[in-house]
Amino acid sequence: MRWAQAIPLGALAVFFAFPVVTMLASFARPSDITSTLTNASLVRLWWFTAWQAALSTVLTVAVALPITWAVSRYSFRFSKTLIGLITVPFFMPAVVIATGVKAVLPSAPVPAILWAHVVFNVAVIVRIVGPRWAMLDTTLEDTAADLGATSLRTFRFIVLPHIAPALKNAAAVVFLFCFSSFGVIAILGGIKRRTIEAEIFTQAVNLGDTRTAVSLSVIQAVVILIVFTLGTRQSRVTNTSRTTDTTNDIATTLRIPTQRQRRRIVAAVALPVLIVVAPLVAVILRSLRLDGHFTLDGYRWLFNGTTEAVGINIASTLLTSTTFAITCAVLTTTAALMIASAKNNTSLISALTAFPLMVSAVTLGLGLIVTFDQAPFEWRVERWLIPVIHCVIALPLAVRTLDPAVRAIPESLTQASASLGAGPWKTWRRIELPLLTPALVRSAGLSAAISLGEFGATSFLTRSNSTTVPIAISQLLGHPGAQLSQAAFALAALCVLLFTAALRLA
Amino acid sequence: MKTPRIISTIAALTALSALAAACSSKATAPAPTEVVLVAYDAFTPEEGIFNDFTKDTGVTVKVVTAGDTGTMVSKAILTAGNPEGDVMWGIDNTFLSRAQEANVLTDYTPVDEGDICVNYDKNWFASRNIPVPTSFEDLAKPTYKNLLVVQDPTTSSPGLGFLLGTLAHFGEEKWRNYWTALTQNNVKVVSDWTSAYTVEFSGSSGKGKYPLVVSYGSSPPAEVLYSATPIDTPPTGVIEKTCFRQTEYVGVLRGTKNEAIAQKLVDFLLDTKFQESMPLTLFVFPVNPNAQLPKLFTDFAVRPKTPLTISPIEIEENRDTWIDSWRSLVLR
Repeated sequence: MRWAQAIPLGALAVFFAFPVVTMLASFARPSDITSTLTNASLVRLWWFTAWQAALSTVLTVAVALPITWAVSRYSFRFSKTLIGLITVPFFMPAVVIATGVKAVLPSAPVPAILWAHVVFNVAVIVRIVGPRWAMLDTTLEDTAADLGATSLRTFRFIVLPHIAPALKNAAAVVFLFCFSSFGVIAILGGIKRRTIEAEIFTQAVNLGDTRTAVSLSVIQAVVILIVFTLGTRQSRVTNTSRTTDTTNDIATTLRIPTQRQRRRIVAAVALPVLIVVAPLVAVILRSLRLDGHFTLDGYRWLFNGTTEAVGINIASTLLTSTTFAITCAVLTTTAALMIASAKNNTSLISALTAFPLMVSAVTLGLGLIVTFDQAPFEWRVERWLIPVIHCVIALPLAVRTLDPAVRAIPESLTQASASLGAGPWKTWRRIELPLLTPALVRSAGLSAAISLGEFGATSFLTRSNSTTVPIAISQLLGHPGAQLSQAAFALAALCVLLFTAALRLA
Repeated sequence: MKTPRIISTIAALTALSALAAACSSKATAPAPTEVVLVAYDAFTPEEGIFNDFTKDTGVTVKVVTAGDTGTMVSKAILTAGNPEGDVMWGIDNTFLSRAQEANVLTDYTPVDEGDICVNYDKNWFASRNIPVPTSFEDLAKPTYKNLLVVQDPTTSSPGLGFLLGTLAHFGEEKWRNYWTALTQNNVKVVSDWTSAYTVEFSGSSGKGKYPLVVSYGSSPPAEVLYSATPIDTPPTGVIEKTCFRQTEYVGVLRGTKNEAIAQKLVDFLLDTKFQESMPLTLFVFPVNPNAQLPKLFTDFAVRPKTPLTISPIEIEENRDTWIDSWRSLVLR
């Protein structure tokens, strides 16, 4: 049903387009835009922003593909843990990952930035490409292998064409994330390696120059739109080319690996996993070590009231974050399902949902403040606005996760079900829903993770008793005193462990 | 084919509207018996400190926060005349003029003060028998090469304070030369206080490589209060001659609907009880002369009698020029 998507799109218009357009109308001037384009120091920033994003994307894909292969081809004991581990960084506050990366790589800003971007974004590739790869019939690869094709050839000619649309989607998302990177850059980039997004924040907040900030964010949006349009056009070509093999697009059950295959899996994922996990391990070790000794004091200070002296109640922080995350997961997945189920055959809808990725969080955050300031829309100090904004930010990813899965359900299956006498509801429930479940779960997980880690637009919303985990960690690190920073690392380590455990159970 | 999606979307819609309803029920207009205090994130007053205010006036105090001082001020300027609350806590002397130009506050008054000063790692200097530097000039000497970490004044409030300190000390003529010398002495510049103090500085939790860092005159008592193992004296000290005075202001936001009660809240924040609670919760000094300081502060916090300072108007008029020149000197 196509009309249903009007609801999430309407919500996007209200909570995203409206505030952003308000900002543009109030602050964008053509003369400012041209002057920001010719300023030499800004041109340097543009160049760094672009090349680090491109390189980060390539590296992320390289690290993510072996993991994606393992978890979408085989069912092994630690696959859930593996997915959990690589997803953890996605919701970790930048300061924690950055500190972890810094512990391993102390004085090399550019490699550190690239590494942190890889750590953050591997989950995006695995979670978007994984479901698509899992749907490729394994007999195709087996046949290719039987006919003498090497694994590389099989990947190039069988797997790659099949996963290409999802891979392009995912790579585009990673590029956009790295292009508009802020937290990682702020910590690892020092003062010379800065992105445009960081500059937008500096202009708007530190220098009070909203007009320059908005101009930069207009140009940033245009650049991202161009990249995105190129990406979509390519994937449309791929879409038509692969219509011939849709009959084989059935989710196959994951195989239990043989001894030999198990060794191949270990060999393939060992290095990528090490790359992603090393900073997390560094964080955990840091939380257990103080002045060169092993200690659990950080965890004690977290819960014995020490942190309340600086206004942080850990229990209520965890509760707040969890509530926001669950709300965001439900809202976002529902909205994404509405959009994906409409099977829009134009790129219009996916372009629309890409807008929240394109616009700088600073512009959105400030836009919300100036837009929702009058009754009956005086929402800017409302607690519920935070999960709703998380939802707007998570929606593009959720749609990208669901859309390939919805499209991959062959019409022949539902038609067969109907001709065998199943009602439409029954067909949806028994055929389509089970096929979509992995993608729905992934989409919900991603949305929850985005909600847990969002630190851009939310930090502009005025909060009362709604400290989230990233804010709590950065506040604990923002005071002198060993107890508080030890507690901050304990909180970060606790998140790593809890989130990994949660995914293991799910 | 079509019907199941109708059902799914209806189910989804129901869930969505239920959620929306649940949200909007919480979203009722603020009760008239509430006064809203807007503050920066690090505003963490003593638990229950506002109970007396509520007892006296029947009005509860709701504290809302968003980001650091810069974020708070930028937002306040965009919403000037239609504020998010009634009273604003914590605009400092580096932002005051900008807020005044935008007419954010109806009136304002100093509420606390502190100093941005270079801190040093006592143990580092003692164990190497190197004398602790005592002035800005010392920091540029070869003895102290590779030892100082500061923050970018563009993105960090203590970083800006330190830059303004050098401006106040050396004057418009000579401050650039001083920074050139600091740069040649390999001053390390990072983007924020947390990176500088908790990562690069050797005297605190990060055990970094730099024994000199730009922080606050009140950082040593915090090191004692939150020390991992109980200690009597802080592991860090303050170089008094580098201190730049930071004054924070409180004021009634223009456009408040509760001017009278807002003014009462300002009075409460300036009153002895609240002022005396500030040192150990906010690590700032009271401005009320009747407020007693805790022992930890009288023992270890530094508040110079004649701190460096620059007027808010002068800061606002020159800040962009100064920062631009600083960037071209230091980022070269």
